[in-house]
Amino acid sequence: MSKETDTAKASILSAIRQNLAAGAAFDEAYLEHQPEEEKDQFSPTVSVASGDENLVEMFCENLRSVGGICETVPDRSQAAKAVEKIIDQTKAEKMAVSDSELIIEISGQLKSKAEILRCASKEKLFECDLGMTGAQLAVAETGTLVIESDREFNRLTSLVPPVHVCLLETGKIRRTMGEALEILKKDLSRSITFITGPSRTSDIELTLAIGVHGPARLFVILIDEKK
Amino acid sequence: MNQFASENFDRNARAALKDETLRGALKNLADTFGQRRRTAISSVENWEALREKARSIKDKTLLSLDKYLEQFTEKAEKAGAQIHWAIDGGEACHIVSELIKERHATRVVKSKSMVTEEIHLNNALEKGGIDPVETDLGEWIIQLAGETPSHIVVPAIHKTKRQIADLFVEKVGIEPTEDVDVLTGTARRFLRQKFAEAEIGVSGVNFGVAETGTILILENEGNIRLTTGLPKTHIAVMGIEKIIPNFADLDVFLKLLPRSGTGQKLTTYQSLITGVKRKPSDEGPEELHIVLLDNGRSRMLSHPVTRQSLACIRCGACLNACPVYQAVGGHAYGSVYPGPIGAVITPQLVGIEKTKQLPFASSLCGACREVCPVKIDIPALLLHLRARINDGEADGIKAESGPKGKAAERFAFGVYALAWSKAGIYRLGTKTARLLQKFVAKDGKIGEISGLLAKIAPPLGHWTEFRDAPTVAPRSFREIWEEELKEK
Repeated sequence: MSKETDTAKASILSAIRQNLAAGAAFDEAYLEHQPEEEKDQFSPTVSVASGDENLVEMFCENLRSVGGICETVPDRSQAAKAVEKIIDQTKAEKMAVSDSELIIEISGQLKSKAEILRCASKEKLFECDLGMTGAQLAVAETGTLVIESDREFNRLTSLVPPVHVCLLETGKIRRTMGEALEILKKDLSRSITFITGPSRTSDIELTLAIGVHGPARLFVILIDEKK
Repeated sequence: MNQFASENFDRNARAALKDETLRGALKNLADTFGQRRRTAISSVENWEALREKARSIKDKTLLSLDKYLEQFTEKAEKAGAQIHWAIDGGEACHIVSELIKERHATRVVKSKSMVTEEIHLNNALEKGGIDPVETDLGEWIIQLAGETPSHIVVPAIHKTKRQIADLFVEKVGIEPTEDVDVLTGTARRFLRQKFAEAEIGVSGVNFGVAETGTILILENEGNIRLTTGLPKTHIAVMGIEKIIPNFADLDVFLKLLPRSGTGQKLTTYQSLITGVKRKPSDEGPEELHIVLLDNGRSRMLSHPVTRQSLACIRCGACLNACPVYQAVGGHAYGSVYPGPIGAVITPQLVGIEKTKQLPFASSLCGACREVCPVKIDIPALLLHLRARINDGEADGIKAESGPKGKAAERFAFGVYALAWSKAGIYRLGTKTARLLQKFVAKDGKIGEISGLLAKIAPPLGHWTEFRDAPTVAPRSFREIWEEELKEK
């Protein structure tokens, strides 16, 4: 921190303290008119249309409502087959993959002509037409994928190519955002990204357009090994 | 650059009212976002309690803002971020310019940020020979057009797709089109190149978590992820009021902000950034600079009424709900922040002198207060500012309307107060009005008499210049009631 900003820090903090002190004189009169509820005891709940506790269904329903595509498979070999189908369907020739155990195993099983780049550099990523990652958590009430930079090389792989395929073990789904935040905080990654559906914009006449900067298509393959 | 000024709200508004295209766009905005918001909040079982909770978190934070800022700084620095403090916009622009210059960088990408609009960062950088590229679709459109945003969330809401197509034809050489997907694709193609080359990414911040030193930014397009994830250096400009105490508090605001802003359960992406990457092989920037900006904010802490301005999370719901904004749009306000929230924070940020029309640009209907996710009492703030202006805080107010004008207005309100509190005078008044209105009423309305009023009592002319008054009914409710009783 430079000297200039050091002075600025001191003067901003002192301005805050002085103004708060000045405001305190009015506070009493003002607070008298405030409702005296116990506000801190509250924890928000969100209703989900389906209402049942099937997290996989809830997750898929919410993801589909924002344009994501999901499929549930019983094991890893079926997951590889599902990925092959997506590669065919999107005519992907170059795919970037992350470095998690799950992704390494599944990308090793792929029978496909697509070139596979693990932990592709920034420059290479712009040439890829598909990115495949896992996710560390998912939130059912919103259909959200949570990816953490300290666990997997997934930050840009999930972002730069026009198609993102995410492999998600169903045990990673939590019901609420609150639960997910609690888990994340225990060992905070330097960069965490929440992804809910494909990239979208309504900046022109509020008309929805998909895939403006991030991926236009998001596929989530849920691996439900209990099935 | 900005052809509108807050001093001329009345003139700007008059011009905007004649702009049919603008009014169509604003109606679309109010209808679409209004409906989406209502649907989205209905999925939360206890929306009111959620608002209360959010406000109490904000109040608690603001009352110890110094403490939380210090905690945030300590935690963010521990994770490798560098914190800079800026008293005003000029200082913040200087810090950002120097950071760019020190790195000999020229290619700068920017994501949408109201605070960088507030400090006119792009102007400052351009003066130093750096041309930052706006990457949010709406902001990019505005930048190409050389305009300013007219809405906090949808900056180019005032533009039709045809106007945008014409702009792209002229500036980036596409074939004429009316297809929104083609226009969006054009932005993607053009801006991809900019992202690939960018050395520095500049963003705003939605929330700064004191407990962990984390910054959180929400978006739908993915340009914020690209801006903050690709370049070697990320500079985030953050108003000091963006602080929240705990990581868990994010839950509350992530439920409130998207629902209020765009009517979504959650926006497509949230980036939570805590310092810089741990080792060179990791993804993400090597450097993170956070510029903490005061720019008039600490002053707002000096009174409980003004302090609530700092609870604002910039969702834009009050703009969409406001009948004045819906009629005149964002540019008429001549300020970076338009609409009801703009009318209360602009005078506090830039001074009352040049913005004294803004607190009066409201009918005090309270729609803004109804929709505000953090329950800011905007009408109370408007009245507070009006009182300060009428007390003469804004220099020049007397010169404009004159002591005579003010006296006449006071006299009129005195008569009004008297008539409405004494039954006899009230009855006499309505009878007289019924007689006199015969000469001026048309289709049950009294309008078109502003010229006459302006001559006999100048300030009263303003009251009827843009609105019709209903005529006094031929028989009052009381009279009908009494007659009914007599008949029985």
